Amino acid sequence: MSLAEIEAYVEEELAPQGGLWRDAWRRLRRNPGALVGFGLVGLFVFIAIFAPVISPYDPRAQNLLLVAHGCCQGPTWAHPLGADQLGRDELSRIFYGARFSLVIGVVSVSVGLSIGLVLGSIAGYLGGVADTVIMRTMDVMLSIPGLLLAIGIVAALGPGLWQIMIAVGTTNVPIFARLLRGSILSQKENDFVLAARSVGVPRRSILVSHILPNAISPVIVQGTLALATAIIDVAGLGFLGLGPQDPGTPEWGTMLTQVDRYLQSAPFLAIVPGVAIVISVLGFNLIGDGLREALDPKLRGRA
Amino acid sequence: MSDALVEVEDLRVWFPIKSGVVLDRHVGDVKAVDGVSLTVRRGETLGLVGESGCGKSTIGRTLLRLYEPTGGRIVFDGQEITKLGEAELRPLRSRMQMIFQDPFASLNPRHSIGRIVGEPMRVHGITGRASTDTRVRELLDRVGLPSDAATRYPHEFSGGQRQRIGIARALAVNPDFVVCDEPVSALDVSIQAQIVNLLEALQEDFRLTYLFIAHDLAVVRHISTRIAVMYLGSLVELSPADELYTSPLHPYTISLLSAVPIPDPTVERQREAILLSGDVPSPANPPSGCRFHTRCPYVQPTRCRDEVPTLRFLDGEHAAACHWAEQIRTGQIQAAEPPPAVDVGPPPPEPAPPVPPPD
Repeated sequence: MSLAEIEAYVEEELAPQGGLWRDAWRRLRRNPGALVGFGLVGLFVFIAIFAPVISPYDPRAQNLLLVAHGCCQGPTWAHPLGADQLGRDELSRIFYGARFSLVIGVVSVSVGLSIGLVLGSIAGYLGGVADTVIMRTMDVMLSIPGLLLAIGIVAALGPGLWQIMIAVGTTNVPIFARLLRGSILSQKENDFVLAARSVGVPRRSILVSHILPNAISPVIVQGTLALATAIIDVAGLGFLGLGPQDPGTPEWGTMLTQVDRYLQSAPFLAIVPGVAIVISVLGFNLIGDGLREALDPKLRGRA
Repeated sequence: MSDALVEVEDLRVWFPIKSGVVLDRHVGDVKAVDGVSLTVRRGETLGLVGESGCGKSTIGRTLLRLYEPTGGRIVFDGQEITKLGEAELRPLRSRMQMIFQDPFASLNPRHSIGRIVGEPMRVHGITGRASTDTRVRELLDRVGLPSDAATRYPHEFSGGQRQRIGIARALAVNPDFVVCDEPVSALDVSIQAQIVNLLEALQEDFRLTYLFIAHDLAVVRHISTRIAVMYLGSLVELSPADELYTSPLHPYTISLLSAVPIPDPTVERQREAILLSGDVPSPANPPSGCRFHTRCPYVQPTRCRDEVPTLRFLDGEHAAACHWAEQIRTGQIQAAEPPPAVDVGPPPPEPAPPVPPPD
C-alpha cells in the first residue's frame, strides 16, 4: 500500500460525510507534518502487511553459526541489521514485529474507543444519575496511573499479548468517555438539536445523526494519538515481561527485554527495536496533531 | 372549528437551580415563565415582545414541548398537550414548527441542505424517497433559494439564506402553527425586510398561524395582528397591534415605546423618553407584588408592592396588568422624575444569585 493509496482510502472514507470533512482533508494535505506522519504510518502499514514477502529470513529461524563466537554479530550484507543473541535475523524480526505493533495499537484503541464511546454517549446524552455513576467510575479509573492499572489488569488476566491489549484498551476507556461526554454536552444544547426535537426525530437518531457526528472530531484526534501511546504502553508491558511468553515472538517490547544483557557488547540490538517504536509512534503522533489542526473549528474555512 | 389554535393557561416554566458536589440539591428556581395565559387565534400573528431574558423564547419552546412546563395547561387545537409523551406528541409535531433565531446554530453543519429540509418529511413519512427530493426542491424554490442548494452545505450560505433554509425546514411538514423565535434579530436590516416579507407571503399561502417572538418593536408592529408584552416571566399587556403603539396602557410598555426612535428630528427632540433605572431583577428571585414596581416610574405606595396585578381587559381587546392603568391613562398619576444620572440607579432591591436566565 503506497502513500497515494492510503490517501485515496482516507479520502474515500472521510469525504462522503460532507463539506466539513472534505475541508479538513484539504487542510491536512497542506500540512507538511501530517504528510510526514502519513508517510511513516504508510511505511509501517506496508511493512506489517508484506512482512512475509520482504523479510529475508524466518524471524524465528536461528543460525547458530552467527553466535558461535559470542554475541552478537553486527550488521553485514547478509544481515543488514545484524543478528540477535540467538542468531536470528534482526531485520526480519523488526518487520514481523511491525505486524504485532499495528494489531496491538488498533485492537487496544478499538477496545478503549468502543467502550469509551458508549459510556461517554450515555453519560453525556442521558445525564442525571447515569452521568454521575459513569463519570465517577471513570474518575476512579483515571486516579490510578495508567501503566499501573494496566499491570494490575494483566496480573489478573495473566500475561500474554491479548491480555496486554485488553489492559491497555481499558486504561484508555475513561479518556475517551470523558472527552466524548464533554463534547456531547456542548453539542446537545445546539439549536439544530432543538430543531430536530421539534420535528420529532427520535432520541436515538438525534444522538447518532445530529450530535455524534459533530462531537466526534476531538475523539478521532485523541484516538490517533492513543494509537501511538498504546504501542508504547504495550512495548513497556512487554519490556516488564508481561508480554507474550513465547520468547520467539518478535514483539518490539519483548525484543528489548531480551537484550538488556547485551547493551554494552551489542547496543544495536536495543537501538533497532527502540528506533522502530519511535518511528511508528512519531508517525501516528504527527497525523494526530495534523488532524487536530485540520478539525479545529476555529480554523474552519481557512486556507 | 374553534377560533383558538393554541391556548395557554397559567403556564409556568421554572428551571431548577442545583448545587452540590455528589448529590444535587435543589436550591431554588429560575422562574422563566410564571403564570402566563394567552390564546393564539387561527390565522393570526401574535407578536411577543420583551427584553432579553424575560422568558419569551421559553414560552415559544414550551408551547412546542421542547421544554417541560412546570405547571399550567397547553391546549393545541382542542387537544391538551401538556402531559403528552414524546410518542403521542410525534404526530402533532408535524403541525407545529419553529424558526430559530441564530441561522448559524440552527442548521447541522454536517448535513446537506437537502437532508436538513427533507428530514422532517422522512420522520413523519409524508413522502416517499423520490418525491422527497422533488418537494425539497419546491420548498427551496418557494423560499427563494437556487435549486442546486439541496446538495450544498450550510457553511456555503449567508445568514439570510440560512434563515430561508430554516424556514423551508419548518414548512416541510405543512404545519398549522409556527413559532418564529426572533427570526430576524440576527440578520442585517436589509435582509430583515426580505425575511419578514417572505414570512408574510408564506402565511397567506400556507394559512399559517404565527407566534412571532422579537424585541424589535417596529418589526413586530409590521407583522403582528395582536401583540403581547412580557416582563420578567409574565404578561404585562396584550393588545391589537396598532392600539399598543397609539395608546399603551402598562407603564412598562409606555417606557419601551418611548425608547423607539422617531424618524423626525423635531418630534424626536421634543418628546420625553422615560428612562428606566436599574436592571431587570433576577427571575430566580422576582420582586413581590407587581414585578415591575422596582423600576416603574408610576409606582404607587403599598399596593404595587403587595398585590400581584392580574391581566384585565380595559377596553375591548386591550388588556394590561397594572393596578393603576386607568389613572395613568387619564393623567391622574404622573411619571416620577427619573433619577439625575441614568447610570447611578438605585441598587437592585434584593441581591440575586448570579444565574443567567435561560433564553
